[in-house]
Amino acid sequence: MVRLVFLGKLGDVAPASLGEVSLPGEVRTLFDLKSWVARQQPLLGRAMEATPTRLILNQAVAHDLAAPIADGDEIAFLPPMSGG
Amino acid sequence: MQIRIVQQSFDPQAEVAAFAKGRDDAGALVSFVGTCRAATDGMDARELRIDHYPGFSEKEIARLAGEVSARFDCPDLLVVHRVGAILPGEAIVLVAALSTHRANAFDAVRVLMDYLKTDAPLWKKESGPQGGRWIEPRAEDHVRRAQAEKGMA
Repeated sequence: MVRLVFLGKLGDVAPASLGEVSLPGEVRTLFDLKSWVARQQPLLGRAMEATPTRLILNQAVAHDLAAPIADGDEIAFLPPMSGG
Repeated sequence: MQIRIVQQSFDPQAEVAAFAKGRDDAGALVSFVGTCRAATDGMDARELRIDHYPGFSEKEIARLAGEVSARFDCPDLLVVHRVGAILPGEAIVLVAALSTHRANAFDAVRVLMDYLKTDAPLWKKESGPQGGRWIEPRAEDHVRRAQAEKGMA
């Protein structure tokens, strides 16, 4: 199981069922995960395509989408930010 | 350096007073308060909601404040950022700096605000009679951010 967190506008279109998911064996990297999420939820996939989306793996910025993911990981999907 | 994300409304004046209390070694205190507007770009906003990513948002804001603190030799920075549902007139963000002289404190507050606008992991949504919309940094925010970064050279 991995925990997925969708922030901002991505959170509006992500179903609650994507909060905790068991991933199929072929999903091994962040890149695989992003593609898998887009296949599962086309609306969310289109939202991620329409806006720059950063991935955060276990609370650290993921600079390489080839990074492997493992059971128990938390991955957050971040659209552009707007603080202040 | 004090970084706090708060769920409830806060009193910026009381926060600044507590921050500066007993600091007679500092010759300058600069603060900025960003508040929730009743209307943005011609759209009435009845409520602003700010989402954050617990843990990561605090860590990233602390990292940005650390960069600014080192750059302007201004170790005493305060950031209080509101999240959740915010009403017009309420404070969204407070940034304050204590320094020996005014120039460093002014610069630290201005640049940290520029950083927060584009780089703080926070997401704003306005809701009003015309519906809701997520706010993203404006072109001028990116320009200010780039200028602030350039000044680091």
